[in-house]
Amino acid sequence: MGYVVAGWIIALTVFFLYAVSLMLRGRRLAAQVPPDRQRWMTTDE
Amino acid sequence: MSPDTPTGSTTTRVFGTATLFSMALLLCAAFWWSEPDAQQGDAVRLFYLHVPVAILEYVAFVTAGIGSVAYLWKRSVFGDLLAHAAVEVGVVYSGLTLVTGAIWGRPTWGTYWDWGDVRLVSTLIMFLVYVGYLALRQVPGDPHTRAKQAAVVALVALVNVPIVNRSVEWWANRTLHQKSTLIEGKIEDINAFATFLGFVTFTLLLVWLMIHRFRIGWLQREVDRRGLEQALDERRAEGIEV
Repeated sequence: MGYVVAGWIIALTVFFLYAVSLMLRGRRLAAQVPPDRQRWMTTDE
Repeated sequence: MSPDTPTGSTTTRVFGTATLFSMALLLCAAFWWSEPDAQQGDAVRLFYLHVPVAILEYVAFVTAGIGSVAYLWKRSVFGDLLAHAAVEVGVVYSGLTLVTGAIWGRPTWGTYWDWGDVRLVSTLIMFLVYVGYLALRQVPGDPHTRAKQAAVVALVALVNVPIVNRSVEWWANRTLHQKSTLIEGKIEDINAFATFLGFVTFTLLLVWLMIHRFRIGWLQREVDRRGLEQALDERRAEGIEV
């Protein structure tokens, strides 16, 4: 049972840390972009 | 998931809340409601995590392939951002497939890893190729050239996905890994419900992660573009023709 619990803990920890890293990266980048350009809607290219 | 998260929205809050709710149910199903398997014992409780994550890594990589085709065909920025997001999330899923598979293998097969096993090695190769894709995306240079090269790599890497998936059938005598339990219908009752719940939970999580990662890609693109425009303005101010 120890293997099973370890597997779940590792997976959920990795998902949690990855989700937090996405939040932080989003916050850092959004601070450098004007609010009207922060979301993909269309592209002028 | 908070309202002031730059990459969050009503959609991500719905998916985030549904993921947490579904995850709570899944943990109850995996650890309390389901019974130990006749052959695998308690190791089956890792099945509800490992199998959905393994199948969904394929979904992420196929999504990356679709986005890459869209970029190569139509120069779709959406396709390029989608492909990049899908590969990054897919690599997380793929890495966890390898780790949870190894942990599952120890009590089930008696070993964490076997270099002669086609399923294990082909999955590792798939993981490393997509890590290479992410490294390529970090190489400085023209963004369009980089996006084109990355799209080609994503499509070449996609060839390995069906090989990984079918390896247990094609080289059945060269793998410890069991054949597809789902296709053969070997699970039933509460175990089938827990497996279904695993698919629902990790699909919701996949979508939530990909939306956030897509928006980060867009923000990074805007930051890069603004940096380029600023550099051009500075050169113009210095009287240099650009």
